[in-house]
Amino acid sequence: MATAEDRRALARHPQDRLRYSWLALTGFVLVLVLLAVALVQARQATLLRQVVQAGDDYVVLMVYQAETEQLRLRDQWQRAADDRVPLDADTLRLRYEIWVSRIELLRSADLQHLLSDPDGDQRTLQQAMDFIQRADLALGRTPEVPLDRGFVSALLPQLESLTAPMHELSLGASHKVSEQLEARGIAVRQQNRLGLGLTAFLSVLTLAFAFIALRQVAQLRERRLVLEELATKLRLAQREAEAASDAKSAFLANMSHEIRTPFHGLMGMLSLLRETGLTPRQVDYLRTATESADHLLALLNDILDMSQLESGRVTLAVAPVDLRALLRDVEALMRPQANAKPLALHIDAAPGVPERLLADATRVKQILFNLLSNAIKFTDHGAVVLDVRTREGEDGQACIEFTVTDTGVGMDEATQAQLFNRFVQGDSTRSRRHGGTGLGLEISRNLARLMGGDVSVRSRPGEGSCFTFHMHLQVPPPTVSEPAAPLPAVLPTSRPLQVLVAEDHPVNRQYMAALLENLGHQAHFTGNGQEAVEALCRRRYDVVLMDLHMPVLDGVGATRAIRALPDAARSTVPIVALTADAFAETRDRCLVAGMNDFLTKPVSVQKLAASLRRLFGSGTATPNDTPLPPEPSPAWAGSHPVVDESAVAMALQAMSRERLAAMVKAFLDQAPETVQRLRAAVRDAQPLDLRTNAHAAKGAALNLGMSALAATAEALHEGAAHLPAHEIARLVQRYEDLVPATRQAMSALDVLRAEPQPAVTE
Amino acid sequence: MRIRRSHPNHPGTGRRSLLCLGGGLLLAAAWPVRALVAASGPVVLTVGGRVRMPNQGDAAHFDMTMLAALPQTSFSTRTPWYAQPRRFTGPLLRDVLVAAGAQGDVIRLTALNDYRVDMPYQDAQRHDVIVARLLDDKPMAVRDKGPLFVIYPFDSRPELRGAVYYSRSAWQLRKIDVL
Repeated sequence: MATAEDRRALARHPQDRLRYSWLALTGFVLVLVLLAVALVQARQATLLRQVVQAGDDYVVLMVYQAETEQLRLRDQWQRAADDRVPLDADTLRLRYEIWVSRIELLRSADLQHLLSDPDGDQRTLQQAMDFIQRADLALGRTPEVPLDRGFVSALLPQLESLTAPMHELSLGASHKVSEQLEARGIAVRQQNRLGLGLTAFLSVLTLAFAFIALRQVAQLRERRLVLEELATKLRLAQREAEAASDAKSAFLANMSHEIRTPFHGLMGMLSLLRETGLTPRQVDYLRTATESADHLLALLNDILDMSQLESGRVTLAVAPVDLRALLRDVEALMRPQANAKPLALHIDAAPGVPERLLADATRVKQILFNLLSNAIKFTDHGAVVLDVRTREGEDGQACIEFTVTDTGVGMDEATQAQLFNRFVQGDSTRSRRHGGTGLGLEISRNLARLMGGDVSVRSRPGEGSCFTFHMHLQVPPPTVSEPAAPLPAVLPTSRPLQVLVAEDHPVNRQYMAALLENLGHQAHFTGNGQEAVEALCRRRYDVVLMDLHMPVLDGVGATRAIRALPDAARSTVPIVALTADAFAETRDRCLVAGMNDFLTKPVSVQKLAASLRRLFGSGTATPNDTPLPPEPSPAWAGSHPVVDESAVAMALQAMSRERLAAMVKAFLDQAPETVQRLRAAVRDAQPLDLRTNAHAAKGAALNLGMSALAATAEALHEGAAHLPAHEIARLVQRYEDLVPATRQAMSALDVLRAEPQPAVTE
Repeated sequence: MRIRRSHPNHPGTGRRSLLCLGGGLLLAAAWPVRALVAASGPVVLTVGGRVRMPNQGDAAHFDMTMLAALPQTSFSTRTPWYAQPRRFTGPLLRDVLVAAGAQGDVIRLTALNDYRVDMPYQDAQRHDVIVARLLDDKPMAVRDKGPLFVIYPFDSRPELRGAVYYSRSAWQLRKIDVL
């Protein structure tokens, strides 16, 4: 782009530096010369002041006047000595006084530097003083002798002898002053010449300086013109490049759009083809064709999104969104993918997350789909968790944060750094295995930024990844909420029920067994969702009590599997969720998955009975014929006493004191092991293990009324993914510390007084 | 430089009593209209030229007593004629001129040795020029540049310390002509 001329313009720098140093040097000399001129002028001013002040000429005048007065006094004195004229004493005295004043003046004035012959002149003055001393005898303030002609005549020769020396003095001073004036004149002339020379030099320098400065300015202007020209060219080039890029994007967007239309037709035909009675081999081909088509469609969608984001044509359709419904949709789409692998999928909303918010639901879902499907794609076993919580953003505004944590392969730093770049995937070998365009994360990040948030990642190889998407939280004004979906029809039965309890925690199993026994039902247990599905296939149960958090297959997954069973009688079995989460979101998720009811732990005998009554009618057996006392409200949600007495009382309604004691003891005896497991999870940085263990401990502790332990386990469960490690360690420590206190509190309530019973068999 | 003015009736403090002050003010206000009396002692200063209140022919003659009767001004100042600052005392030149009823454009000063210099009439109005009769509170003999010495308050303004004003400071003053 740069022409030869441009290059020359840019290559002038060394010369410029030289010129600048010349400029600086000239400036420096200029300053020096200015200083010299100032010095010369100051000296001239001093000289002039000397001329004005010293008054040497004035001294010459003084000497001259003294000589004049000397002559006048001499004349008067001669007249006074003359016998022919009368003696004019007053005039003589006046003349004498005036002369004395002149001599005094000469004596007091600084004559030294003016006198050509200081010794001789001093002698002259001394001569005058001698005369005054003698004359004062008659002419002074206090005359000692009368002023008469004799006195005057006697002193006349002495006075006359003063005439010549006084003249000498006057002449000498005059000559001396002339010399001095001459010398000073020469000095002034010299100074003047020097000043003129300096001024001339100064003028030359100033002209040179101005010349260089002007040249500099001219060159700068020239260079600026060159640079401006260059900038214009670059701008034009950039504009052209942008236009070309825009055209490509537009073309891509158009083409993607155009391709999709016939493509949908192709896919429709493929699906119709499936219904036309194909051989297994053809079905297999068809499946491959459909998968390829799906992949192609996903690619097209990504490209369309990307080109639209690039050309700034994406606008957000912000509207009030029901967050639960949104998460439900996300889960509905993601769960089959997760279930295709041995993967647990948890979606948790923290308390305090508003149910409704202002957002572009489609785009938020798109980001969550992308993050979740990535997590599922790159995780072969373990779990994928989506946590939703609110927090305060960096700018002080409220944020909603979606965190997708997986137990997958993880990434190193270099991969993370490239992750959000176009067409970059975790690693190229894996991309072949997992497919995808590589545009997903870039699209997600661009969308998140459009929403005032971002997508970020935290990961280590082999330790899973954690993607965080946050956006500004805007809450719409409250509206009337929609009525909850009606529960399924009640089955009118009044017999003892065969109950399948899917629950992984032994203490909880014992507890449920006690409750069901108390209600007159028969309990059967499985340890996880998978086993529950298998058990249902083996025999019929009236109802399934399903814990939500279980290893291998969780409650929601098991429910979906059951609902998907081919046998209608088995797939419609009523399912009741058991969970320690009291959130509406969890409840909705359960109901969406196909569950019929939802019980929060601690499960009281009343709650269980009421739920079964809803499902099987009022004829269902109750523990007593008399109505039950009102259920004590659980107190653990507020402050956390070590033991919640009301919960213990509730448990005692369901089972004997001995049985409860045995369960409490079993739980507390198991506590060290639990703590060990929690610690191991912390040590190995396995937040999911930590969650699972904490959750199991929480449920059991709640059922047995150990509210402090339950609260601590709850905090661990909640904080497993985001609390700092030391905080988690502190919670585990607290859990451990609470065990003896709980044991003591249970003893105080007489629960542990009884001898431990043998463990209840399942 | 400190210039102190005092009326001869109340030398020094001038704060003895309200009555005295009142009397001084009365006198000060009264004397310009008072006709100039004839000199009784030896004449030390003759004011001639445009004089409206002569007491001897066309001129106003002053003896030392008459000059001492005018309000006195004292100040110390450095001069080119003495190594140390000296204290001069005497009536203001403008008061002397008022006493003689003299008014004009130029004041011509003449000394005993016939030294003569002209000063603008305005100098007497603008500056506190005095006709000094005391040097360090003592009368001045002719040999001490007396008996009268025209002195500018040199130290009150820098521009007064120059050859022009030094030349206007006539000593051994004997005559003032207002032209």
